[in-house]
Amino acid sequence: MALLRSELLKQRSTRTLLGLFAAMLGLVLSAVLLHSLLPAEQLSDRHTQLMVLGRGEFLGALFAALLGAMSITAEIRHGTIRPTFLFSPRRDRVVAAKVSVSVVIGAGFGLVAGAAAVAGGTAALRARGIELQLDGRDYVLLVTGSAAAAALWAAIGVGVGALVRHQVPTLVGICAWLLFVEGLLAGDLVGLGGVGRFLPGSAAAAISGQDPGTLLAPAAGLALLAAYAAVAALAGALATSRRDVA
Amino acid sequence: MTRRFEERDTPIAPSTDDGVVVTVSSLTKRFGEIVAVDDLTFSLRRGTVTGFLGPNGAGKTTTLRLLLGLAEPTTGEALVFGRRYRDLDQPAHRVGAVLESTDFHPGRSGRDHLRALALAAMIPPARVEEVLELVELATAAERRVKTYSLGMRQRLGLATALLGDPELLILDEPANGLDPAGVHWLRRFLRRFAEQGRTVLVSSHMLAEAAQTVDDVVIIDRGRLMTTGQLDELTKDGRTLEDVFLALTGAAT
Repeated sequence: MALLRSELLKQRSTRTLLGLFAAMLGLVLSAVLLHSLLPAEQLSDRHTQLMVLGRGEFLGALFAALLGAMSITAEIRHGTIRPTFLFSPRRDRVVAAKVSVSVVIGAGFGLVAGAAAVAGGTAALRARGIELQLDGRDYVLLVTGSAAAAALWAAIGVGVGALVRHQVPTLVGICAWLLFVEGLLAGDLVGLGGVGRFLPGSAAAAISGQDPGTLLAPAAGLALLAAYAAVAALAGALATSRRDVA
Repeated sequence: MTRRFEERDTPIAPSTDDGVVVTVSSLTKRFGEIVAVDDLTFSLRRGTVTGFLGPNGAGKTTTLRLLLGLAEPTTGEALVFGRRYRDLDQPAHRVGAVLESTDFHPGRSGRDHLRALALAAMIPPARVEEVLELVELATAAERRVKTYSLGMRQRLGLATALLGDPELLILDEPANGLDPAGVHWLRRFLRRFAEQGRTVLVSSHMLAEAAQTVDDVVIIDRGRLMTTGQLDELTKDGRTLEDVFLALTGAAT
């Protein structure tokens, strides 16, 4: 509990969190609004509507991963990891506290991103006179799925940050993975095909009910992403406990 | 400012009876081919200020990291109060340390830096205000650390080390960036700290300053112990600490 309060104060006491939140919200709204400029016949399709409103899940998960990663890479970058471990020599517990706090804040990021995408997207489509093909379950999944995906990606971010340690490669790596690498792997170019839906970004999209033809069912996506998050967090905690602190 | 500290703090009772605060035995640390610390053995007496001296790259900081559990020895051991640092019950209440004067998030205020660490070690918030007063940073506590001078960062580092009211203080180059008044203040502070029955290990390049502050010295070079003992003994033949240091570390040419 003491460590949780400490980690929470660390997150609250710099402008990083607010900056990430503002950037995320701005990007969610721009992405949704830009997508709502697609041709009307395309936007009338349920699948496309889910994709547009699902931008919240994608960006929520991305920014949650960044905030989780920065909870440890910023400490390494600025050297505060040294006093942190002097005050709490059980390093696995410190990583666990970072995971817990990042998961909670990440869920908040995902909730806001999901809700903003749904609100902005429906408003933009209605304004264009496009009929929405989505029902209540879709909206609930889009928002809660976004929160769950972001929460779990925050844990993945902490784990990756603890493993990689250097801030810039960590953040660039996370962005590159979610923005390009996974798409390439799952796409026709590499031709993983059906295996692509088992990658962590696709699992996150599945939770919010996107692309039901290709992706896993939401519950399966949730279970798979939770497994990724657990493995990443455990690997990060183990590596942090075993390796010397510079 | 210092008066407050003197009034409040009473001499502490020794918590272990053998008087041994730090025991470093056959400590070795290799990084690949490089031997950073080589079969190093020394100990610290309770109630003393010990200067940990050596040229750049001698292995001082690596030794301190091993002592504080931030790195694992290749062989040998480094114990504080008879135990490995990480096996201490409440390490921040026994040992206070500053390894780098730059270990702050530039965007966090001095007070929040201390509060976050205090929360982790269950140190009451009132103690944060006490150490801020003690190092004369109370009026700057709300400012982000990036606005601090090097001397202010040194003092915030010292405040961090003192949060848990420790019995042993380990400082790596604490006088860097302090002005003459700051150096004088630090020297008086460390002497007073030791007079209360507490112990200080301070690494330094500044031999003239060290000679005025320390009781004992540990001199290392290329990871090896060159000498250890009481400063009075080492300099009784009229040589200065600088003479002794340069003769031992082969830097006198």
